[in-house]
Amino acid sequence: MTTSTELVASVEIAHEARTERVPSGAADGAVLRVIPGDVVRVAALLGRDPKLAPAMAFGALAGGASLVALAGTHDGRTFVERAALLRDARPDLVVVLASDRRDADGLVELAEALRFGCAHQSPLPHILVAADERVRDRIAASCPTNTIEALPDVRTPAGREALVARLRAVRRRAQGDAVLRDEALEAAARAMAVDAKADVVVLDVTGGSTSVIHARPDGVVLGIHERLGVGAAADVVVARAGLDRVRRWIPRAVEAPALLERVFNRARWPDAIPASVLALTLEMALAREAIAHALADAERAGVPLEPMWAAPLVVLTGRLAQLPRAAQSLLVAIDVFGATGPTLVSRAPGDALVATGALAARGRVATLPTIDPIAIVAEMWPRRSAIVRVRDDKGVIEERVARGSFLLVPTKGVVEIVMPGATVRPRAEQLELGVVIDARGRPLALPPRDAERIPTLARWYAALDVLPAEVR
Amino acid sequence: MPWQYRRWTADHPLPLGASERAAEGQEIRAGDVLAAGTTYGTPVRISGARRLGVAPNDLARVLRVPVGGDVERRTVIARTGRRFARAVSSPIAGRVIHQRADGDLYVAPVVGRWVVRSTLDGEVTRSDEACVTVEGSAWALQGIAGYGPDAFGEIALAVDSPTDEVQPSRIDVRMRDRILIGGARATAESITRAHACGVAAVVAGASPAGGLRVVYGDAATASGATTGPDAPTVLCLIGFGVAPLPREVFAPLVALVGARAAVHTSTARLFVFAPENAGDFAQGAPSLALSDDWLGTRPMDEHLALAGVTRFASEIEADAVETRDGPVPVANVLAFDAPRTPRN
Repeated sequence: MTTSTELVASVEIAHEARTERVPSGAADGAVLRVIPGDVVRVAALLGRDPKLAPAMAFGALAGGASLVALAGTHDGRTFVERAALLRDARPDLVVVLASDRRDADGLVELAEALRFGCAHQSPLPHILVAADERVRDRIAASCPTNTIEALPDVRTPAGREALVARLRAVRRRAQGDAVLRDEALEAAARAMAVDAKADVVVLDVTGGSTSVIHARPDGVVLGIHERLGVGAAADVVVARAGLDRVRRWIPRAVEAPALLERVFNRARWPDAIPASVLALTLEMALAREAIAHALADAERAGVPLEPMWAAPLVVLTGRLAQLPRAAQSLLVAIDVFGATGPTLVSRAPGDALVATGALAARGRVATLPTIDPIAIVAEMWPRRSAIVRVRDDKGVIEERVARGSFLLVPTKGVVEIVMPGATVRPRAEQLELGVVIDARGRPLALPPRDAERIPTLARWYAALDVLPAEVR
Repeated sequence: MPWQYRRWTADHPLPLGASERAAEGQEIRAGDVLAAGTTYGTPVRISGARRLGVAPNDLARVLRVPVGGDVERRTVIARTGRRFARAVSSPIAGRVIHQRADGDLYVAPVVGRWVVRSTLDGEVTRSDEACVTVEGSAWALQGIAGYGPDAFGEIALAVDSPTDEVQPSRIDVRMRDRILIGGARATAESITRAHACGVAAVVAGASPAGGLRVVYGDAATASGATTGPDAPTVLCLIGFGVAPLPREVFAPLVALVGARAAVHTSTARLFVFAPENAGDFAQGAPSLALSDDWLGTRPMDEHLALAGVTRFASEIEADAVETRDGPVPVANVLAFDAPRTPRN
């Protein structure tokens, strides 16, 4: 974190095609800009240790970079195939990872393939080497025109932090004074966790990016950031997830080709607004898959997700927080984020939280904006039907919950939930919706056939009153 | 302005194995070969400097075949000494492709050939192993996504009006090597038929996204798809699904029928090589509106007036413009030439 004495009058947050200023209106002084950052293409040259590839993926996720090529000393590719892979990948940065001295010859072979494939790329990719000094010297000899930098072992937190710092510097490129959106969100998550003295998870989905950030009250933050989104990166979500996985979340029959048309049009229409209910449900479906894939990628990269699932506070931002109904934001989040305990879900509409985070990321003290508590979500998977008691200012409501149940208990004032084997007293004073009891089980099982899937989805949507009346 | 006459730059990335390239400063026409080369099979690594007993940096001095040179089997690649000679010969026929920092060499068999052609009339401003760049003047129309390889040919109309869909029945072998101008939509059937008839490219307001995936595979995204030289070329000018062409875009295309043109797919541009005074093409950019359910786009011919903050069916409240079909969110109305990729 850097500390600056420069006064900042306002924070300008870049979206797909527009910028929003916080506070709104003309700036009366210096403006701090928050940007999504350039796409950074990273290629990795890996030694034989199988832990290197997940560690590299973890680093790329944490730094918001795109891992475009992985070449290993034992991947079975020929010299020409490796060179073609690296040439087609057009990397901005090449990371060389090796923990074993026996990898030296193999890595030099990969470095030679890099020189053969990318010697005339403009600009030349910088090479970060996390390996023995002698290996670094040999790689420098193989790629004499590339800039070589040393990097700590990325399997360690210190090494990962160094890689993330480097990746973020490249993503800022010529805009060195700007704060990256994911950087701002991490700072905001840290501030919220310290303030609440509890673990906080921030889910941010924008047109071009998805972030899942876990902050602990001791200030430790773990963020994963991917180029998946509901706008400019909507087609990437479909390419990754497949159209059927996006379509399954829409509570009506939609032809796949027409849905793909909508996705492609949205991807090339910056900041388009979903004016129809169908477009809105598509945006919600894309957000679900974007979060689900970010989490799945994180899991594959060895990111520990259990502490995230157990976080008592979940805050939604970006497009996810700007859906017209709070129930829409809530349903998207709980469909894919499988919390293991009672969770208070809030949303921070607008850009105030990002602006606060940007100021915090620059070492300035800023008051956290108000976030709107939506609901307390109590997930359970009871062996047999059980009674859940919800107590609020109006009295006690008893609900019988069986497997598959999904219901909303509207509440007023301070809430207490008595579940089988646990009593929970969340801190929320006033919830926009109330308590959601979710006994659908995880992972969510959606029937493949429309005839069964649509009624199931319609029941979930109706339980939270998610959509306007005409499409129920 | 949708149509612009100015100086453009077109990059032509090269695959591995370029053996000849146009020189910097060379004048070139669209369709001319900019570079040619070979594709390689599995290479063989042979000991070079160590075997000859020379320092790696001195290897170039004793090479009889330079890196990039063709060799037959047992060709002597390098040799030192006179009475007690040491030599390195090639174990296979092919090409010396690379010299390592330690002085070893790679020789790879040649398994195929490729050529890269220019998409602009102009002058070569950069020429190296990675890319050849051509700079030249032309009329150009910026689309949103290009699919397939670059294409060259004369412009020909495949529709009678800008709202028509390209009908496969209108495409035949007489349109070979032409760039076909479609109207609002070019379906997968018309694209594949055009390709089978030897048509160079199809340019239309939109193409169905599902159809593009049928033709180019699941890797095709809204940003386009690059393929090998055997795939059809498609340029989407406005969007996906259905997108009638605005009058300001279609009328010049009609006037330019028969003109030489090229499609540069990586930048999604149609270049037309006609004189600057060929017509009054440089008109103001028309507005385009994305439909409420994002299924298609249409040009807005009517005068646009703000309708204030409007609540839409999705319950989103946003500034809107009034159209004859009802209010449209301001964010869903863009000028034809507005940037269609997010800013960083």
